[in-house]
Amino acid sequence: MTLETAGFWVVAVVLLASSLAVVLTPNLFHAVLYLAAALVATGVVFLLLDSPFLFAVQLLLYAVGVMAIVVFAIMLTERLVGERITQTSRHLVNGGVVAAGVFIGIAGFLIRVPRSLPRAPLVGDATPALGRALVGPFALTLELLGVLLVVALLGALYFARADE
Amino acid sequence: MSLTAYLTLAALVFAIGLFGVLTRRNAIGILLGIELMFNAVNINLVAFARFHGDLLGLVFTLFTIAITVAEVAVGLAIVIVIFRVRRTVEADRLDLLRG
Amino acid sequence: MDATVWLPVLVLGLPFASFVLLAVVAPLRRAGRAAGAVSIAAIAAAFLGAVLVWSVGFTREATWTWIPADDGPTATVGVLVDPLANAMLVLVTLVSLLVQIYSLAYLHDERPPSLGRYYTFQSLFAFSMLGLVLSPSFIQMFVFWELVGLCSYLLIGYWYARPTAARAAVKAFWITKLGDLGFVIGIVMLWAATDTFEFRVLFALAQEHALAIEGLGTIMFLIYLGAVGKSAQFPLHVWLPDAMEGPTPVSALIHAATMVTAGVFMVTRAQPLFALVPDVLALIGWVGAFTALLAATMACVESDIKRVLAYSTVSQLGYMMAAAGAGAPDAGFLHLLTHGLFKALLFLGAGAVIHAVGTNDIFRMGGLFRAMPQTGVVFIVGTLALAGFPPLAGFFSKEAILAGVWEADMTGPFLMLALTVLLTAFYMFRVVFLTFFGRAPAAGHPHDPSWTMRAPLWVLAALTVLVGLRLALGDVGAHHGPGWLAPLSVAAALGGIALAWATYQRGVVDPGGLAATFPFSVVDLLARRRYGLDTLYAGLYRGFLLSFSRLIGWIDRYLVDGVLNFLSAWTLRGGDLLRHIQSGHAQDYVYGVAFGVLLLFVWSQWWPR
Repeated sequence: MTLETAGFWVVAVVLLASSLAVVLTPNLFHAVLYLAAALVATGVVFLLLDSPFLFAVQLLLYAVGVMAIVVFAIMLTERLVGERITQTSRHLVNGGVVAAGVFIGIAGFLIRVPRSLPRAPLVGDATPALGRALVGPFALTLELLGVLLVVALLGALYFARADE
Repeated sequence: MSLTAYLTLAALVFAIGLFGVLTRRNAIGILLGIELMFNAVNINLVAFARFHGDLLGLVFTLFTIAITVAEVAVGLAIVIVIFRVRRTVEADRLDLLRG
Repeated sequence: MDATVWLPVLVLGLPFASFVLLAVVAPLRRAGRAAGAVSIAAIAAAFLGAVLVWSVGFTREATWTWIPADDGPTATVGVLVDPLANAMLVLVTLVSLLVQIYSLAYLHDERPPSLGRYYTFQSLFAFSMLGLVLSPSFIQMFVFWELVGLCSYLLIGYWYARPTAARAAVKAFWITKLGDLGFVIGIVMLWAATDTFEFRVLFALAQEHALAIEGLGTIMFLIYLGAVGKSAQFPLHVWLPDAMEGPTPVSALIHAATMVTAGVFMVTRAQPLFALVPDVLALIGWVGAFTALLAATMACVESDIKRVLAYSTVSQLGYMMAAAGAGAPDAGFLHLLTHGLFKALLFLGAGAVIHAVGTNDIFRMGGLFRAMPQTGVVFIVGTLALAGFPPLAGFFSKEAILAGVWEADMTGPFLMLALTVLLTAFYMFRVVFLTFFGRAPAAGHPHDPSWTMRAPLWVLAALTVLVGLRLALGDVGAHHGPGWLAPLSVAAALGGIALAWATYQRGVVDPGGLAATFPFSVVDLLARRRYGLDTLYAGLYRGFLLSFSRLIGWIDRYLVDGVLNFLSAWTLRGGDLLRHIQSGHAQDYVYGVAFGVLLLFVWSQWWPR
């Protein structure tokens, strides 16, 4: 068992456990914390897949950015409602059956993936190549994405602003 | 580990996220489920990129993450507005579009 | 482009410019009298141009491509200037000018916007009629033919708030369209056979005897049908008396002097083609003569002064057509010109009378000569001219027609026309005696109209006399016929006058008693019922058109609408049933998406490829 294999199993367990906790825990605040754990675990999966840069992005953007926003939202709604938000679930069986069905459907494709597909050889560090791609062929996309982010944030501000 | 292992992991996370989206009553909880599904997709993209030696998957993942952040920001803003107007974030009670 | 081209084009363009100006510039049109001034100025300038064209005697054809095609244009537009067109140009612009001046006074009680509308239509009419006259090809003639029909419709229905006027306008439109249908079919058939619309080419072919195409008789008959509708020939004459619902100046211009003569003009213009089909010519002659007689009998029993004149117009158009059918189109055309003058005079005079006494009924008039001497004099001049009294204009043209018909060995039509001479004199002097002489009714103080109405009357009266004198001195009428013809027709006219005098002035003959004796009783009965033609058409209209419309209406209401109602009702029901699956809960929709994804999985994995 190589280090990578061991890491994968550990991360997989953590990821699945925290994901389940996100969707099952009755306390919304706890759910957010579990989500943070799941996001970090995902980042580690990226690391296992030799993408340290994406790991960093995942941590910075997601785990910090998203978490901050979500926590703010919870605090806001909680403050307004004046009580702790305990969340309940509906139609657990139905949701479970459908989710399981989708998983089985995907698994139907997975069994066709050749098991022996080798990892492509690592050609140096992917980060500089990624940077060149972002300012090269994908420069326009990157700019548009920047615009999108600005627009989204402005929109969010507009929505969430207090009524004058 | 093989590609299948990563893909299976991603599929499981996706299914769990879907389950959350389907069963949560709280709008924020639904958003959390959606985040999980996004993560599963990202894992898939990165895994394919790594195993095929193709940079494109990484680029897409980057974009997906950025778009997701925007989506979360807007989505939560909407949740806050709904809350302010309707005094609830229970998805069950938000049925203005009922036929 | 030299003067022989641009001057006719200018004559044509001036009324059009006036029309466009009045149609587009709403404030000017709504000003009423200002619009009249614009229209009159345009038509006056056009009149001067027309006189110039006529006196110099331009002869020219200029065409421009209209519908281009690979081997030469399919259709052209242009102007054909020849003596025929020149004379018509002068007549149309002259009568238009006088009528437009006359209308200023006649319609001076109208609201300014309506008056502006009147003058807009007048300008359009002048343009359309001039375009018709100048047409070098059948297709252009047809376009303007329809335009004058439109103007006729618009002006008959000028007082559209009156139901009778609106109905008369529609009737005139539909009945003339019936003829126009034949006209356009004929034109297209002729084009299909010869590949051209142009008169010049067609006449050249006719000259070379190269026009022996199959069915030429049918084609020319169809083209003649257009003239039957437009020139109110039997059996499509019924619209013209009803058209008197329009303002009197309109009746004078359109329904006496110009538009209704378009059919005669067309037959005259296309004479080289009609000459190839003697059968159709004979038909034209017989129908023309029959129309003349029939309309004259109806004029004898009519009590509405305008309708008497309308039947008289139908009758005179019958004369012209009879001349064209007898192969004497020159005589017919001469009568067209002289008739245009004195019939416009009579209508305008009748308009002055109606204006003064406020009724159309000749039995409620009387003794007006003392009250309106000027109107009386000019009206009698017009009446004498119409009755064919020498040396007035009508005498010579009618004489020429009778001579032409006699020389063509058409005894039947000749007898009918000769009888019509007597009847014409009778019914016209009936009007004169009843209107201007005898006892005056007590009501009102009728007087001669203002100078804007008097001046056109005097101009037309003077022209009627002058043209008559010119014809008497010159040798214009080529048809002299047998020597006994002139005394015969004068005697017939005098007989008619004497009969009218005896009946309506002296009271020697009792009109009621005369009408009761056989064979007059039969004619009287039939003429009073207008020979049942109106009833027949109304019956046909009700029988066929209305029942057909009802059938269509039923199909539309119950079949077409039924299907649509059924569909819409079930769409509603379906929507009502389906709307319950829209719970409004976002998560239920996610279930839908997930099921869709599952279906896609199943399809992609197990679908047989």
